[in-house]
Amino acid sequence: MEKESKDKEGIKGWINPAKYGKFGIERFAWILMRITGLGLLVYFIGHIIETGNILSGEGAWNEMLAMTQTTEGHVFLALVIGMCVFHTGNGIRLMLQQMGYGIGKPARPDYPYKPQSLNMKGKACIYATIGVTALAMWYGIAVMFG
Amino acid sequence: MMIMRESIVMKIHYGTAIGAVFLVAIHIMMRMTQDFHESLEYENVIANYEMIGYAILLELILILISVHGFNGLRVILLEMRQGPLYEKGVTYGCIASMIALVAYGSNTIIKAHLGIV
Repeated sequence: MEKESKDKEGIKGWINPAKYGKFGIERFAWILMRITGLGLLVYFIGHIIETGNILSGEGAWNEMLAMTQTTEGHVFLALVIGMCVFHTGNGIRLMLQQMGYGIGKPARPDYPYKPQSLNMKGKACIYATIGVTALAMWYGIAVMFG
Repeated sequence: MMIMRESIVMKIHYGTAIGAVFLVAIHIMMRMTQDFHESLEYENVIANYEMIGYAILLELILILISVHGFNGLRVILLEMRQGPLYEKGVTYGCIASMIALVAYGSNTIIKAHLGIV
């Protein structure tokens, strides 16, 4: 029973930075996929409620819009753009891998037991996704503050 | 009680993701057809809602992202803990939340499209 409770790390297990070092960039992508997914869901719910304000007339709409048209609002939107692009890019990588692309050929598990699926193709995709995310955030900031 | 096979649920998850990417891209590009701040002005937003094609696009985005988002939340919650009662509670809770959000968003889209503002 005690062993079971020790194994159940829950959210602490997710955010333990020591695990990134142990499992590499794939672990980082795994946790970022979940954080961006939750962030986007919260933003989406907020966005639906925010746009629902349009039914209360022009005054209510402008009042709500004024809250988002601030420096903080724009920085928040840039973060949303980043979350959206990373979640999309990494999601496409995961879908392709689940269809069998880029995960290598099955081989006998020999020491040091490196999984075929955690290869350079996957790592390159994650780094490329992070790069595209940064570019999209930069473009979004340029449009909003421009 | 299993509502649907998990493999089918994941196919829906990926299908809604691909659909949402294309439709959200169109939704964002609509903001780029004019100045970003200008596109968010009351008259422009109402004009967008009044276009039948755009209203359908918004409704599709609402459904696709709600299904994808709440199923993603369900998967995350099921990864963290398991148990028959917990799993049932999470699944039904996510379905109920999804239906509530789609209903709220659809109310906005339909009323704004019909000019009931």
